[in-house]
Amino acid sequence: MHWVFEPGFFSSQPVHVAVVVGGVVAVVSGVVGVFTVVRGQSFAGHTLTDVSTAGGSGAFLLGLNPLLGFVGIGVVGAGTMDLIGVQRVRGRDLATGIVLGAATGLAALFLYLDTTERATTGATQQILFGDIFIVDPSTIPVVVIFSVIALGAVAAIYRPLLLSSMSSDIAAAQGVPVRLVGLLFMLALAVSVGLSSLAIGSILSTALLIGPAATALRLTRRVGSAMVVASVIGVGATWLGVLLAYDSFYWGSSQQSLPVSFFIVMVTFALYLASGLPVVQTVTGRRASDRPTEEEPRSPHS
Amino acid sequence: MGSGKEAAIGQGPIGQGRGSLRNRTGLRVAALLAAGAALVMAAPACGSSAKASGAMEPGVVNAIGAENEYADVLAQIGGPYVHVSSILNNPNTDPHTFESSPSVAEEISAAGLIVQNGVGYDTFMNKIESASSNSNRKVIVVQHLLGLPDSTPNPHLWYDPMTMPAVAQAVAADLSGLLPSEAGYFQANVQKFDASLTPWLNAIAAFKAKYGGTPVATTEPVADYMLAAMGTDNLTPFGFQADIMNGVDPSPQDISLENGFFTNHQVKVFCYNQQVVDSLTTSIRLTAQRNGVPVVSVYETMPTPGYDYQSWMLAEVNAIQNAVANGVSTEHL
Repeated sequence: MHWVFEPGFFSSQPVHVAVVVGGVVAVVSGVVGVFTVVRGQSFAGHTLTDVSTAGGSGAFLLGLNPLLGFVGIGVVGAGTMDLIGVQRVRGRDLATGIVLGAATGLAALFLYLDTTERATTGATQQILFGDIFIVDPSTIPVVVIFSVIALGAVAAIYRPLLLSSMSSDIAAAQGVPVRLVGLLFMLALAVSVGLSSLAIGSILSTALLIGPAATALRLTRRVGSAMVVASVIGVGATWLGVLLAYDSFYWGSSQQSLPVSFFIVMVTFALYLASGLPVVQTVTGRRASDRPTEEEPRSPHS
Repeated sequence: MGSGKEAAIGQGPIGQGRGSLRNRTGLRVAALLAAGAALVMAAPACGSSAKASGAMEPGVVNAIGAENEYADVLAQIGGPYVHVSSILNNPNTDPHTFESSPSVAEEISAAGLIVQNGVGYDTFMNKIESASSNSNRKVIVVQHLLGLPDSTPNPHLWYDPMTMPAVAQAVAADLSGLLPSEAGYFQANVQKFDASLTPWLNAIAAFKAKYGGTPVATTEPVADYMLAAMGTDNLTPFGFQADIMNGVDPSPQDISLENGFFTNHQVKVFCYNQQVVDSLTTSIRLTAQRNGVPVVSVYETMPTPGYDYQSWMLAEVNAIQNAVANGVSTEHL
């Protein structure tokens, strides 16, 4: 085992924090990510990561915990996108793109001020690409609270969200408040993106949001089981990434470890590619052209 | 499809009222352009006030210290014959991430003598200097003065007790070249400067004699040259110090090791770079404090007002001595 788990891996406090935070965040990303993919809101999810970049860099400027910035401004961004029309298919990409541009511009200003006005040299690297090993242990309770909020929101609106994700017309005809459900999901998405920004950086957080979800939806057509599979894939990829980053310290002679976010994203990507292999598709009986379905394709009131 | 219907309805008014719409669009574009022009015209008005400082008085050399500690030595040697300014002088920011501005370029192009650190610490100076070439301008690169290679890992040369006497001598030589009639005055100031370093050098020697071998931890190699001169044993791996200095991810192994110095009480003092603060360095500082290890702030840039180079360096040694001898933290100089 020595060559898999290098010395000190299990007793290292940065590893403990990374395993807990990474695990919790991967579960939230898996659950929220499946709905994001099913609803075709990957672009909105990515925009929220750019919005959270502005939040994280702003939090640095104010000396706050970056997680509060990531989540706080993400929620504001989600609300703004809803206000200017993210729920309409026609205006959606436009609303999303406009918010994305403004948020990235703000992030450019805040990151500039972080490095020139405040003594936060690592801010740019840390916000954009993350470093789960340097998450402060005192952040863990906040991570758990935000995770419970995001998962609770998805659970509370699960049936109407599922129905309106499949067909908003049918959902509306059945009396589902489609817009409200969409807004609540956007808020859960913002919290989820904020959490994954903390774990692997705001630019990379889309990878953890849609990577495991897209992989899971290639393996199973049921939304519920896809959430479980996506969570397992996300947690596995995160933990494997943490292990590889830890071990990379011993690979060369330089005694430097490679960025943990790189490993997490690459493992996620490799799993996505692997899920498309014909042998995997045969075993799971799924074809790429299959559309996701409800678990019980009957009435939402049953 | 609902969207198709919407599009068809939307086309109607455009087709009917094309003329009036074009006029309105023209008006809006004109308003936008006017607003833009107003912004552009306002900008030079703000900038022009900064221009006056470059003016040359006869018999006075415009001198620039890229870092304010070098500017301080320039002023001490040149006295009334130099007009000194510095580029990096804000002790609340990290000099490694400085971005130059047009007003800095203007100052540099008007300078007769420049002192800069080198070793990649102030590369922006080279760029600006080559952009405004001036064959009469003298540039002292401290790295070259000390004969150090570009691969020198620790750029914080001014913490080395050998550095500033050499800088003072070079400044006096170049100023004498520019103002030959005052050469004697500059040389006398070098003697005075060297003598004024004695309390600092004595404090270093006294610390080394009494507390040589004391284990210490750092976040960055800021004060490493001085810590070495004081005979301390810096346990923090240089790789970790370099990662923090360069703003990249340190390894989890090094983070554990660093925290272990405090939880296992392996070090007597924690030298903390006050100018590079992030969640990691803050959490390490809190770990040190929780475990009763005194924290001493070290600065990259001379803290002003209230300090000159000599008194700043002496204050750092005294703070470290106070930490080791009495367990007292100095979080701000």
